[in-house]
Amino acid sequence: MVAISGEDIPVVHDDHDEKPRFFERWFYSTNHKDIGTLYLIFGIISGLVGGFLSFMMRLELMAPGIDIFTNEHTYLVFVSMHGLIMIFFMVMPALIGGFGNWFIPIMIGAPDMAFPRMNNLSFWLLPVAFICLMISFFVPGAAEGNGFGGSWVMYPPLSTTGSPGPAFDFIIIGLLAAGFSSIFGAINFITTILNMRAPGMTMHKMPLFAWSVLVTAFLLLLALPVLAAALFMLLTDRIEGGTAFFDPARGGDPQMFQHLFWFFGHPEVYIMILPAFGIVSHIISTFSKKPIFGYLGMAYAMVAIGVVGFVVWAHHMYTIGMDVNVKAYFVLATLVIAVPTGVKVFSWLATMWGGSIRFTVPMIWALGFIFLFVVGGVTGVMLANAGVDTYLHDTYYVVAHFHYVLSMGAVFGIFAAWYYWHGKMFGYHYSGFLSRLHFWLFFIGVNMIFFPQHFLGLNGMPRRYVDYPVEFEFWNQVSSWGAFVTLASVVVFFLVMAEAFLMRKKRKVGNNYWGEGATTLEWTISSPPPYHQFSVLPRIDGGDEDHAH
Amino acid sequence: MTRNTKTQMLLIGLAVAMLGLGFSSKTLYDTFCRVTGFGGTPQIAMNEENLSVVLDRKVTVKFDSNVSPDLPWEFKPTQRAMEVNLGQTGLAYYTAKNTSDKPITGVATFNVTPTKAAPYFVKTECFCFTDQTLQPGEEMTMPVLFFVDPELDASERHSDITEVVLSYTFFESENQPQITAAIQLDALP
Repeated sequence: MVAISGEDIPVVHDDHDEKPRFFERWFYSTNHKDIGTLYLIFGIISGLVGGFLSFMMRLELMAPGIDIFTNEHTYLVFVSMHGLIMIFFMVMPALIGGFGNWFIPIMIGAPDMAFPRMNNLSFWLLPVAFICLMISFFVPGAAEGNGFGGSWVMYPPLSTTGSPGPAFDFIIIGLLAAGFSSIFGAINFITTILNMRAPGMTMHKMPLFAWSVLVTAFLLLLALPVLAAALFMLLTDRIEGGTAFFDPARGGDPQMFQHLFWFFGHPEVYIMILPAFGIVSHIISTFSKKPIFGYLGMAYAMVAIGVVGFVVWAHHMYTIGMDVNVKAYFVLATLVIAVPTGVKVFSWLATMWGGSIRFTVPMIWALGFIFLFVVGGVTGVMLANAGVDTYLHDTYYVVAHFHYVLSMGAVFGIFAAWYYWHGKMFGYHYSGFLSRLHFWLFFIGVNMIFFPQHFLGLNGMPRRYVDYPVEFEFWNQVSSWGAFVTLASVVVFFLVMAEAFLMRKKRKVGNNYWGEGATTLEWTISSPPPYHQFSVLPRIDGGDEDHAH
Repeated sequence: MTRNTKTQMLLIGLAVAMLGLGFSSKTLYDTFCRVTGFGGTPQIAMNEENLSVVLDRKVTVKFDSNVSPDLPWEFKPTQRAMEVNLGQTGLAYYTAKNTSDKPITGVATFNVTPTKAAPYFVKTECFCFTDQTLQPGEEMTMPVLFFVDPELDASERHSDITEVVLSYTFFESENQPQITAAIQLDALP
């Protein structure tokens, strides 16, 4: 063990930008900003992998017949891995690990996270987990071929007796590692936010992004151990002659896995979207030059979404043969979530109302977020009804719905944050033209992919099939052309990064490059921030002028 | 202990508690289903003390059978349906036949639909309580003794129940016969 800690490194008090050498800085890193950067790089890499998988799926679905893939199993492996990678290795690391680590300590006026070395552990568990997932691609899964094709929901018996090969064991181990990474991260965030706020920053003066990450961290802490338990049970069920938690022949119940999985899985979707809520609130407020409308309502709406999110899980399982009264409860509870979500959407609109709005790049991403999230939310309200869902269950309508809230909601949130804090993180600005081009290509691309899928779903096209009847060809083709547009937008995104890096000398930015509307603490320090910020804690003065009036 | 460590311990405790809850879900779920009849879990009674009352109201009990693809058995109800009064004991038969050339032990799971009728559907004797072993080619008739609890009539929520489906699925048991001796059923009428 090599101990690199605060005690071993001579503290240089007059120069806060004294950075460790490359290997120590990036591999033994305990600095929240460096770990945040690592998370963002990791998120971008897994986003590319997950995006590649989905692009192959769209290529396959461009025309009826099996064209690209050699068999259906491999297609299902791509579907499953796309879901797992995008959720656990792209959205979560980018939003929570990346922007959370970068900005939570700064926004609440703390010098670093509460447990910097645990933070390092949280990050480095992820590449290990990702490698496990990648290995599973290339080892035998089912009789039909390599990899695990049981979708991200991993329902038994397909994930137990149906996938006897080691491919799924690697996924279990990878997900357990990713899960523990998130649990450690959650403990770190909660402790930091509860205990390390600058003097004078009460909970009710805390920036909304900090609120969103606090709620997210609690959801992670309560939901992920349940997934871990369910995965352990799958693992022991898979052993020949092992346990029979989910095997009906030996007194188990496969439905119990679904309950456990969705008890985790539903909070998981809020884990992915809540941090984006927080980020969008800051952006809307900054570029409307107004404090956020209904600050407390916004904060407690997120708390309410988090709490209610734990008691609606069975709306993913309406078709398993549930009592009609149980369905009635889950319909009602699910519809209730639309209320706090509505509070958020209307508060964003009210913030913009009468504000002096500037359509900067992060602002258009945030507006895109609101618009697309509302579209996804409305289809969600439809799907919440058990009767409608019986018809639409496992069709492309569901695919369209959750991609509108995640692939567009969460990902638009990520890009909004990226363009909002780009100057703060790197110290220089990006090209306005290229970043707007990125936005418009991405906006058109993802809408082209997913809007037609509503029609496909309403017409009964089921999910997770490699082939489809010729009647579905037109909208599938449109959807696949959308994938090409999205691919072009990804290329432009890398151009934005490269161009900005080349022009870094000319585009230096100051402390608060967004001006008057940006009021949180990160805008009081330099861009990029010093390696260790707030050696003297900032003091937040009394008075509630930020939100009360 | 610093304030941060204290918070950390508390949060780890919370995570461990959820992990424990996850692992105990098997027991919790079983108990919950048995007590509430959730998911169509019928009640099991070893005596017939509730049978003092027999009401005029009738329900039709329909019988359904399924066999796991791994089990080379034929399994059918002898009668498709049967009408019983609430509180009246019904006796139904299923037949199972081993179509393979080796003795096999099977075990059946059971379920009642509509699921809200399950808490009132009581089985006093059933072939599904124990493992069943069939010799090669052997056919066996297996009884189910059941009644529908008259309490059902008192519930407003169950006033629409006129039919109850009793369903069985036979799986291969994990206790396969070592010696080829037929295990006799419990003595039953």
